[in-house]
Amino acid sequence: MKPFRADLHIHSLLSPCGSLDMSPAAIIRHAAARGLDMIAVSDHNTTLHCELMVTLGREAGITVLRAAEVTSSEEVHSLVILPDSEARVSFQAWLEQHCSFAPHDPKIFGDQVVIDRDENIITEINHFLPAALNATLDEVEAAAHRHGALFIPAHIDRPSFSITSQLGFIPEDLYIDAIEVVGAAPDLLYPIIRNSDAHIPEHIGRRYTTYMLDHPSFTELSLALRSEDGRHIISSQR
Amino acid sequence: MKVTDIVEKLELTVFSGHEGLGRVITGGYSSDLLSDVMGHAAAGAAWVTIQTHRNVMAIASLRDLSAVIITGGETPGDDTMAQSNEEGVPVLGTILNTFELSGRLYSLLKEK
Repeated sequence: MKPFRADLHIHSLLSPCGSLDMSPAAIIRHAAARGLDMIAVSDHNTTLHCELMVTLGREAGITVLRAAEVTSSEEVHSLVILPDSEARVSFQAWLEQHCSFAPHDPKIFGDQVVIDRDENIITEINHFLPAALNATLDEVEAAAHRHGALFIPAHIDRPSFSITSQLGFIPEDLYIDAIEVVGAAPDLLYPIIRNSDAHIPEHIGRRYTTYMLDHPSFTELSLALRSEDGRHIISSQR
Repeated sequence: MKVTDIVEKLELTVFSGHEGLGRVITGGYSSDLLSDVMGHAAAGAAWVTIQTHRNVMAIASLRDLSAVIITGGETPGDDTMAQSNEEGVPVLGTILNTFELSGRLYSLLKEK
């Protein structure tokens, strides 16, 4: 058992706000340079770069977890971190079923492209990916847990798109695996993690969390968030 | 002006919280950010919003608001209505959007 550094909130160029140099290969390169052991790719309401990133990560010795930053109908952003490829495929279908197909203008919001390992464009997404889904926060949480995923309200101390800004406070009966914060640790009983929310390569790893794990993996992370079997959160940097 | 008066004059649907229909409305507040309402809405206000989450009721009761008006034809969930009944704060609805409803409510409150 030893400490591992993880940054579980990174946008690729598939997110309209993700810079065009956030290709899967570039993300892996920067993550390695920053000494991260584990990352999650979490684009807005889509998981379409996850499998490529997992493959590239494996080659470079970095564990990549499949994730999405999901926008609920209340416009609350949450990280949904998925256990495996099968769950990702099924969760991607759920995301597409609940998509509101908001109009997208790349000139205003930025490009939304899926690329392959040689950085050729495979698909361009023509609706605005970050738009609120037709699913409430309760429904997002239920869907996440149905897929065996971790449900983590994102940047809860930010003044926009956070559970706190949109809903005033965290509903007590919401089943939360951890909360992500940007600044000072709040006086809350949930496990607290910090991630970069990087949209440009230089921001990868600017915030991260160190976990005591046997090895970096989804299962080990889940244990650490629950402080089970000797796994736990050691600290998070801001 | 009472909640019943605005229900009648603005043709609002009463979803729940019938017990509170006699509450007096002293103003209004339009916002969809619950953190904003928590900090700024005055007691006695009717709150105009498209948010339907159950936290709406906790904040309405925290700020001692007289009613919640849900716009755009959205409907509150069962948990929101249950809490509205418990708190006696009515949840009302309209097909109008927030701009239209707020304008009409403003004129109505100003008349009096």
